[in-house]
Amino acid sequence: MNKQDWFRKKFSRKQFLQLLGAGAGFLASENILLKAALAFSKSDTSPGRKKGGLTGNYDLVSATGENPYQMTVKAIKAMGGMKKFVNPGSVVLIKPNIAWDRTPEQAANTNPEVVAALIDLCLQSGAKRVNVFDSPCNNAQRTYQNSGIEKIAKEHGANVFFANTWNVVRAKFPYESPMQDWPVFREALECDTFINVPVMKHHRLTKLTLSMKNLMGVCSGNRGNIHTDIGRKLVDITTFINPDLTVIDAYRVLVRNGPVGGNLDDVVYMKQLLIGTDPTLTDAYASTLLDIDPLTVPYIQNAIDRGIGSIDFKKANILKITA
Amino acid sequence: MSNKKLVLIRRILQTAFLLLFIYILWTTTYPLTGKIPSALFFNADPLIMITTALSERLLLPGLLGTFLLILLTFLGGRFFCGWICPLGTVIDFCGRIKRKKQVLEETENKKVRRVKFYILSGILISALFGIQIAWIVDPTVIMGRFVSLNLIPTTTLILDKFFIFILQTIEGRYEPLFDFYREMKASLLGVKTTYFSHSGIVFVFFLIITSAAFFISRLWCRTLCPLGAFYAVIAKHSRLRRVVDKCVDCGKCHTNCRMGAIKKDNIHYLSDECILCMDCIYECPPKSTRFTFKQGDLQSNTHASGISRRNFLIFLSTATLPLLGMGQKKPSLKDINIRHPRIIRPPAALKEEEFLNRCVRCGNCMKVCPTNGLQPVMVEAGSRSIWTPRLVPEIGYCEYNCTQCSQVCPTGAIKQLPLEQKQKVKLGIAKIDREICLPWKKNKECIVCEEHCPIPDKAIKIKEELINGKIVLRPEIDEDLCTGCAICQTKCPVEPRRAVKISPKKSDRF
Repeated sequence: MNKQDWFRKKFSRKQFLQLLGAGAGFLASENILLKAALAFSKSDTSPGRKKGGLTGNYDLVSATGENPYQMTVKAIKAMGGMKKFVNPGSVVLIKPNIAWDRTPEQAANTNPEVVAALIDLCLQSGAKRVNVFDSPCNNAQRTYQNSGIEKIAKEHGANVFFANTWNVVRAKFPYESPMQDWPVFREALECDTFINVPVMKHHRLTKLTLSMKNLMGVCSGNRGNIHTDIGRKLVDITTFINPDLTVIDAYRVLVRNGPVGGNLDDVVYMKQLLIGTDPTLTDAYASTLLDIDPLTVPYIQNAIDRGIGSIDFKKANILKITA
Repeated sequence: MSNKKLVLIRRILQTAFLLLFIYILWTTTYPLTGKIPSALFFNADPLIMITTALSERLLLPGLLGTFLLILLTFLGGRFFCGWICPLGTVIDFCGRIKRKKQVLEETENKKVRRVKFYILSGILISALFGIQIAWIVDPTVIMGRFVSLNLIPTTTLILDKFFIFILQTIEGRYEPLFDFYREMKASLLGVKTTYFSHSGIVFVFFLIITSAAFFISRLWCRTLCPLGAFYAVIAKHSRLRRVVDKCVDCGKCHTNCRMGAIKKDNIHYLSDECILCMDCIYECPPKSTRFTFKQGDLQSNTHASGISRRNFLIFLSTATLPLLGMGQKKPSLKDINIRHPRIIRPPAALKEEEFLNRCVRCGNCMKVCPTNGLQPVMVEAGSRSIWTPRLVPEIGYCEYNCTQCSQVCPTGAIKQLPLEQKQKVKLGIAKIDREICLPWKKNKECIVCEEHCPIPDKAIKIKEELINGKIVLRPEIDEDLCTGCAICQTKCPVEPRRAVKISPKKSDRF
C-alpha cells in the first residue's frame, strides 16, 4: 500500500493549525473582497443641464378629454408641435413616474398612454433615441411591468432601462445647497431634451406630487434624506436638471392615501393634462385644479421665494383646449 | 453501442443535469415564468420528501416524482448518483483532477461505507419521532444552497463589475455596449445584485464535501451521503446487473472503480455501491464487462454490505443521539410563534416548530425574494434554525404584491395563499422609536415611512402637532392595519439603527 496514503496519515499539530488558519483567512477575506468590489465604482461631477430656453406658443396648455393619447397629441400640437422641443437626431429623455408596484387604474404611476403619445411625437420629430427610465421605490422589475409603461414604451420604440446606481454624477451647485454632491443618474443629464411626465397625486408631506417631486426619481443615494427640508432640495434639483417640457398627467388622480394608493375609490377621473415649459407655473396651475393653494405646497413656495418661475396666472399665456 | 459511447453519454447527461440545476435556480427570480418548476430537483429527492412527509405526517405532492425515481432505481440501480446528482457531478470533476487513484482495502472500505447507513437511519428514525434533519446532509439541498447563495450571487457580481469596469474605461460612451449591458441587467444578471450574509459558511461546507474527492474519489458519496444510502438499499436488489464474461485478471476495474464497489477478484461487485458510471466497461481490456437485465447468469450478488444485527443496534443508538439534543419540545412551544425576538419569518410561514421541520433549507425562497430581504439565519435562534429564511429589513422588505417565496417552497413550509390573503398576513408589527425618529425627536419633516406604506388605507397614520408655530407631521402605527411588511424599516432614513422597527411577536403563522 502506498505510503502517502492520506486516509491513514495522521495530522500533525502544525498541519492542523495551518488548516485552521487557512479557513479563518478565507472567512475574513470574504468581507474584504466585498468592500473592495463596492469601492470599485467611481463617479464624476457635473454642473447640471443648461437651460435650453425652449418655448412653445403658450406658457401652459391645459387639455381636457376622454382619450389620454389624443389629449396629449392635441395639447402638444397647440403648444406648437414637438419640433419646437426636439431637434432631429437628438436624444430625448422622458421621465415618467414609475415609482410603485401598482396598476394604471390605481393611478400611482403616470398613465402609459401619455408616455406612448410623447414617444411617438418625439420619434416623429426626428429624435435619434428616446430614453425612458425611473428609479422606483418598489422592486424595479415589478414596478416597470405592472405600471404598464415598460411594455407600451418598448412597443412604441423607446429605450426602457433600469437605473444603475453606479452610473451617477455628483451634482455641483454654484450656490450653497443641501443637495451638493448628491449622486444623480448620468442618463438624466446626457440628453438633449428632458421631458418630465409626472402624475398628479396626493402626498402627505408635500400635499401633492407634481413635476418637481417627480425629479426625485433621477436622484440616487438614500432618497429618504431628501424629505427633510424637501421644498428647497426639490427646487435645487429642478434647477440642476432644468426640464425643457413638463407634462402633468391628471387623467386619473389619486386624491387620498398617496403616493402609493391602492384603493380604486381614492381615484378621481379628472381627465386633464397640463403641458408647460415652466415647472413652477405648471405645478402651481395643477394644484389649483384640486383647490389647493400653491403657496402651501413646499416646493412651489420655495421656488417663488427664490424667484424661480412665476405663479401669476393672469400674466401667463394659458390656453385651454378640449380634445 | 461501443463502450466508449456509454461513458461519453454519461458525462454529457451529467453536465446537462448540472446545467439544468443551475439554470432552474438562476431563473428562480421574478417573474417566475414557470416553464420548469423551481422546486423540481427538491421534489424529486426521496430523502427530503419522505422524511418531511414522515415527520409532519402528511402527503406531499413531491412524493409522486419520488415514487417514480424509486421505481427506476429498483430497475436500474443507483443511476441517480452517477448520472443525475448535480453534487455528484461536481465531486466527479474534483476526483478527475487527481491522477493516481486511491484504493481502500476491503475491510476499510466496508467500515467507511457503513457510515452512510447510520446517517440515513438516524434521519429516518428522527423523522418518525417528528423531527426532520435531512437538510443537514442531503446532497440536493447542499448543492441548491451553494448555487443559490454562493455561485449565482458571486458570478453575477463578478460579471457586473467586469462590465462596469469596461464601460467606465472606454473613453466616450459606446452606446451599443451600454445597451447590451442594460439588456443583460434586465435579464441574465438581474437588476439587483444579490448578497447573502454568512454565505461563506455555506461555501466552506460545500468545499469540504467536494474537495474530499481530491483524496479518495467520491468520498462523500461512498461514506456519508444519506441519499446515496437510501438508493443503495433499493439498488441492492436492482434488476440491472454487472456481468464479466472473460476476466483476464488485469485488476483495472477494481483499482479504477470510483465507488470502490468492485471486489479484488474483479468479478464480484457490490450492487448497492455501484453507481453505473460505466468506467469498468470502458476500461476492460477484453471488453468483456457488460450490464444486463437478464437474471440467468448472476455471479455477483454474493456480498453482504448491509446491516447485521450488531450494526442495527449501533445505528439505533446513533439515531437516538440527535433526539437527546433536538427532541420535540414541550407541546406548549408549538403555539409560540417566535424563538427569537428579531427573526421575522417569510409571509405565511407555518408555526415555528412545524416550520423548522418542514423547511429543508434549500434556499429557494432567499433566491427568489425580489428585494433580497430574505437572508439565511445563523445560530442566533439555536442550532435547529440554521439556514432557515428570515427577513432582514435593513436589506430588503416584503413586497406587497409578491407571493413568490411560497410558490418556490418545495415542502410548503411557506404556505401558498392567494394574493389578496397574503396582503393581509402579518409578519409582525412595526413600532416607532420616538427617541430617534426625526419628526418625533427633532421636529423635522420626514414621514418617509408613511409615504412608502403599501396598505391602501395606510397603516401609518399622521398626527399633526403644532410646535413652535410650525406644524410637524408625526407618524403613528395603526396596529390593526400594519402587516409588518417592513418597507418602512427598509426606507427609514435614520441610520444605522432605523427609527421604525418590526417586531415579529404578533405575526400570523399557519
